[in-house]
Amino acid sequence: MTRVVQVPASFDDRTFDQFAEACGSWPPDVRLLIDARQAQWVSPYALVGLLTTGQALADAGCPQPLFTAPQSDDVKRYLARTGFFSHAEGLLEVHGKIPKAASGPTDALLDIRAIRAMKDVHDAVRGISDNATRILVEQLGIESKETYGFGMALSEACQNIVEHAGTAGWVAVQSYTWRRRLGRRVVVIAVSDSGVGFRHSLEASHARQYGERWGDGAAIEAALIQNVSRFRDPGRGQGLAYIKRFVHQWNGKISIRSGTARLSIVPDWDDDEPLAEHLPFFPGAQVQITIPAPGAAAS
Amino acid sequence: MIQTIRLHHLLRESPSGESRCLVTRPTGAAVRNSIERALESSSCATVFLDFTEVDLLDLSCADEVVAKLLLGASSGACYVVLCNLRPDQVEAVDHVLRHHHLAVAAVPCGDGASADLLGWADEDTRAAFGSVVSTGPTTAVLLAAELNWAYDRAERALTTLATRRLARAEHGAFYPLPFQ
Repeated sequence: MTRVVQVPASFDDRTFDQFAEACGSWPPDVRLLIDARQAQWVSPYALVGLLTTGQALADAGCPQPLFTAPQSDDVKRYLARTGFFSHAEGLLEVHGKIPKAASGPTDALLDIRAIRAMKDVHDAVRGISDNATRILVEQLGIESKETYGFGMALSEACQNIVEHAGTAGWVAVQSYTWRRRLGRRVVVIAVSDSGVGFRHSLEASHARQYGERWGDGAAIEAALIQNVSRFRDPGRGQGLAYIKRFVHQWNGKISIRSGTARLSIVPDWDDDEPLAEHLPFFPGAQVQITIPAPGAAAS
Repeated sequence: MIQTIRLHHLLRESPSGESRCLVTRPTGAAVRNSIERALESSSCATVFLDFTEVDLLDLSCADEVVAKLLLGASSGACYVVLCNLRPDQVEAVDHVLRHHHLAVAAVPCGDGASADLLGWADEDTRAAFGSVVSTGPTTAVLLAAELNWAYDRAERALTTLATRRLARAEHGAFYPLPFQ
C-alpha cells in the first residue's frame, strides 16, 4: 500500500500542517509517495521539513518514501540550487528529471546544510559569513556591524539540534520578498530535525511542574518563554533567550513547531496565532526565524 | 605583572581548528580549559583575555568561556580583564554574566574606548567602578565626598568591587585594574 501525500502548491510554514496531516498517523503503516509535481513555491522551512520527513521515516524503520519532483522548471532549479536533491539522496526516492545544481551568485545566505555534530554548526556559521553580509546590507539595508546577530542566532538554533534532537537535522537561510504577507524583503532561517521533540526532551525535568497542562505546547512554551533546559547547568537556556531578543530587536517572528503544537512570537505585521495545539503530528522540531527589512518597501 | 591570552590563538588549537568563530559549547569549554591551564602555571596578578581576531561569539560560547571561567576556582587567584571586544561581543558577554549575577571589567575595541563593567552589578557598584576607573586610586572617604554619599555607602560599594575582583584593595585604598 502507498499513501499519496500531496505537497501544497505553495508549500511553506503556513501550509505545512496540511502536509503533516496528509502524512497520516505516525509512523505511517504504508509507504508514502510525496507528490510535489504541482508545487509552485517551496520555502526553506518546507525544504528542510521534507528532508526531515525522509530522516524520520528512516529512523522509524519505514520504507523510503517516493518523491516526485516539481514539474515547474523554476521550482526544480531552485531546489537543485539549494542542494535539496543531494541532501535527499538516501532519504527520498526521487522521481523526475533533476537539473544540475546551478552555480553563481544566489540569494541564499546559506544553502541547505546537514547538522549532525558541533562541527557542522561551525561550518554553517562559517558558510553564512561568506555571503551574508553582502545580502543583508544590500537587500535588507541592515548595517554591516549588525549582521553578527544573524550568525549568533543561526549558531544557537543549530546547536539545539545537536544537543536535544538526538538525530540529524537541517538548516537553510534565504532572503526573499514576501509580497503578499508583508510587502518587504525578509531573511528566513529555517531549522528542522527529526529528533525527540521538545516534549520528550524536557519531560523528565519539567513535566511535573506543568501537571495536566503538560504537552507539546507547554514544552515549547517552557523552552521559548521560560528559557528552561533539560540540563541542570544554570547557564543553559540562553540560546533561545538570545534568539528571542534578536527577533524582538528586528521586529521579527519566531515560530517553533514540535509534535502537535506550534508556538510563535508574533509581530504586529503577522496574524498567526501565538499558540496552535492539536495540530497533525510531525516528528522532531521545526523552527522558523523571520527577520524583515527594517521598514523598507518591497523591491 | 599582566598576562595576555589571545583567544584567537586558543581557538586555533581547539577542536574547531581554523575557525575564527567562538561558537558552540564544546569549543567554549576547550578554550576555557586552555585558559585555566595557562592561569594555573601563571604568577601574574592580572590576565587580559584578548578578543582580537575573534569573528563571532555566540552566547553558549560566551557562557562557557567567560561565565564559567569566573565561576571556577582558577580565576579567583587573579584579576580578569576582557579586551578588544566588538559591540556584539560586549552584548553577548554582558547577557551571560547578568544571567549568572557575575561581572567583569572590559575594554571594548576602538581608539579611546574606556573600561566598562559588563554583567550584573547594582548602581552603586557601577558608580564606584566608574569613579575608580576615571579618577584612579580612591578611599571610601574620597568616594563619599566625590559622589556625595554617606561613608558607609561608599565603603560598601568599594568593598563589593574588591570582593568581585573589579578593583584591587590595598591598605584601605582601592586601585583600578590595569587596562592596558
